[in-house]
Amino acid sequence: MKNYIFSRVIKSIVAVMVVVSIVIVMLYTMIPRYKIFEKDEGYKKMSGDARTTYMYSRYEELGYLDFQQKSEMCSNASDNYEACMVNDSEELNAVISEYENNGYVVDYLRNGDPFVYHDYNPLQLIWNFYSKLIQIDHPGYVKDENNPDIERKYYIGESPNGMPAIMCSGCQYKYQLYFNSSFPFIHINAIHFNFGISYPTNEGMPTWQVVSQGQGSQVSTEQTFPSGVVEKSPLNQYTCQYKPILDTIDQRRFTDNYANCQSYYESPSMINTSYIFGIIALVIAYVVAIPSGIAMARNKGKIVDKAGIVVINFLIAVPSLALIFFVRQIGSIFNFPDRFPILGFEDIRSYIIPIIILALLQIPSLMTWTRRYMLDQSNADYAKFAKAKGLSQKEIFTKHILKNAIIPIINGIPSSIILCISGALLTESAFAIPGMGKMLPDAINASNNNMVINLTFIFTALSIFSILIGDLLMTVVDPRIQLAAKGGKKK
Amino acid sequence: MENKNIILSVKDLVVKFKVRDRVLTAIRNVSLDFEEGKVVAIVGESGSGKSVFTKTFTGMLEVNGKVTNGEIWFEGENLMTYKTDKEWLNIRGKKIATVFQDPMTSLNPVRTIGYQISEVIMKHQNKSKEEAKKEAIELMSRVGIYNAEQRYDEYPFMYSGGMRQRIVIAIALACHPKILVCDEPTTALDVTIQAQIIRLIKELAEEYGFTTIYITHDLGVVANVADNVAVMYAGQIIEYGTVEDIFYDPRHPYTWGLLSSLPQLGEKGSELFAIRGTPPSLFEEIKGDAFAPRSDYSLAIDFEEEPPMFKVSDTHFAKTWLLDPRAPKVDKPKQIQNLHEKILALTSKGGIYGER
Repeated sequence: MKNYIFSRVIKSIVAVMVVVSIVIVMLYTMIPRYKIFEKDEGYKKMSGDARTTYMYSRYEELGYLDFQQKSEMCSNASDNYEACMVNDSEELNAVISEYENNGYVVDYLRNGDPFVYHDYNPLQLIWNFYSKLIQIDHPGYVKDENNPDIERKYYIGESPNGMPAIMCSGCQYKYQLYFNSSFPFIHINAIHFNFGISYPTNEGMPTWQVVSQGQGSQVSTEQTFPSGVVEKSPLNQYTCQYKPILDTIDQRRFTDNYANCQSYYESPSMINTSYIFGIIALVIAYVVAIPSGIAMARNKGKIVDKAGIVVINFLIAVPSLALIFFVRQIGSIFNFPDRFPILGFEDIRSYIIPIIILALLQIPSLMTWTRRYMLDQSNADYAKFAKAKGLSQKEIFTKHILKNAIIPIINGIPSSIILCISGALLTESAFAIPGMGKMLPDAINASNNNMVINLTFIFTALSIFSILIGDLLMTVVDPRIQLAAKGGKKK
Repeated sequence: MENKNIILSVKDLVVKFKVRDRVLTAIRNVSLDFEEGKVVAIVGESGSGKSVFTKTFTGMLEVNGKVTNGEIWFEGENLMTYKTDKEWLNIRGKKIATVFQDPMTSLNPVRTIGYQISEVIMKHQNKSKEEAKKEAIELMSRVGIYNAEQRYDEYPFMYSGGMRQRIVIAIALACHPKILVCDEPTTALDVTIQAQIIRLIKELAEEYGFTTIYITHDLGVVANVADNVAVMYAGQIIEYGTVEDIFYDPRHPYTWGLLSSLPQLGEKGSELFAIRGTPPSLFEEIKGDAFAPRSDYSLAIDFEEEPPMFKVSDTHFAKTWLLDPRAPKVDKPKQIQNLHEKILALTSKGGIYGER
């Protein structure tokens, strides 16, 4: 069992990596790279050498290519920096031809300064991504010239809520591991995923932070700072990172340099928004679809079944986009907002119609499958034998058929949970709900490559691991299934 | 007839099925009395209505099937007056139990063996969970499961086919039924297990004192276990008698055909006997003797009028015009003459026929 899970996890990780790698290569080699500047107002206003340098530094920052200007070339490749920095000097020409031999393309700015660049090949692109993907915090992280004597150690301290926490001095984050009342209760700052910087939308912010950080305006709460000062502030002290230069407010609040903190926001993050909608809709869908599917199977061919089939056929036949706008229209008759931001996060009416739509989108297939599984099982021999045993129809259904029919349904639950985020794409767009589903098409439209990769990674990882969880769940409900690392081998 | 103890009496039963807007008559005016404590075998080829016939005893016909005529008397009640499932629950499983053909699929794969046995005990005998468990374990050991206590919590997939059939039998016997219907109980099992299961049912029948109705097309099983044999063809019983009557003095040409086709009677070098043709379509009304078109002994009247049940002896009846005094004298085919000696010769070499 352990071996099985281990090998499945490894396979899942490989699968995620393959998918993400393909997306990376496609994004970087097949989409014209100038598109990233389409939404960049600053770039449009620039001209001449400034524009050229800006363009190539952007490309380098986003990982398209390796770009080196004259000073960098000279410091990298020449022993005589001063001589090298003179245009048309022998030293510089030697450096240029050296770069040229290494496969770099040489070009000149209008002022005559040379620069070189070379595109990364797909393997380099993938390597660059994965080599930077996982960042492990360590006490040697901080390199601050003004603070060379910073203590470098882990220690157990007390977090702002009074709970013990593993803390660090010299690391990027002050709180390495801490507990609080928000899900999932144990939080780790020691390991971080780095998916690069979001550009051109949400410029400069790490993409992970864009999707996971709260939205809307900041919320201040009364809190005690390390210095003992009690103040109203939106800062989330658990997220504090090392800040080389402290301002006066920081100095008043903090006793050390860990003052670069994220804030609390009034509205949930993109991930959470999607999940709030998705999970509620999913629960509703299951609560509605499974009993009605069972009722249909029990009354096969009767009026309940026929009515159910009509509903299913209607919901399946109407294209989902049409259904979304149709229900939205009906909702607006009853004074429900047709865009989420009209009433925003605080008002319950913002949620009702999108959740109904999300549930409606899932109900028909769930109902069909439930009905199908139930019917399949009720035709099984053991159901006939159960009848011959003298069990009533109700007992046969609840004690025997249901337990068999529920197995494939349980197997599908984790994937449904995942689908409810990625599947919310249309609904979120139609209602302008600030969730992850809407983020993906937005990111693609804006050529926000890192964001696309980040979301791809999240979606792929979630779906692949949900399949794993589904399989593990199955072993709980089906005694026949025992997971083995190699086919056929038991336990 | 009067002095016999009849436990189940079927009179003029007609069963029709609606299949794709056509009506199929599966059972055509069958009457049969089952004597208490006896083993009755119903034999016949596939589609002759053996299973459908016995399913009517427990109200287990498929939804498209209907009894359109006839009565089934059991313990002073006509079962055919039952309308709801609730009424049937007093009979089904409790007084008339059924063992099906395929033990591999007869048990719920995701419930423990113990659950599936004690469930019935709790339901029909109103016992507590602990009592039911105790009784279930006893039953399990009785049907030949070793370490019953440990195996109580195992699942069907951990049992072999023969063991599963033992469990199925244990479940069927859990309520001490009056009648046990065994619908081809050994077809899905291999030969050695077949013999064990048949012996087991036989022993249990003596111990628990139930009447056994075997449905089978295996004449070997019939010879081995049955007291009485009913031969079915095209939805009718065409010959009925004791096992000796049927094997050593068969009267209906179809019974002759069946016995002649026993592979054990085949002679080396010559082809095995087979009844030619196919059974009639039950969608159409059958005129005369249903077997006439396939019979080598058919008379002109066979195509005109349905033969009545002729009485051969007190225990032996056959439905063929050959028994009419006006009919020409016909000898049964050569293969099955002296069947008794032939079978004795065969069984002396061993095999399950010798166990009787």
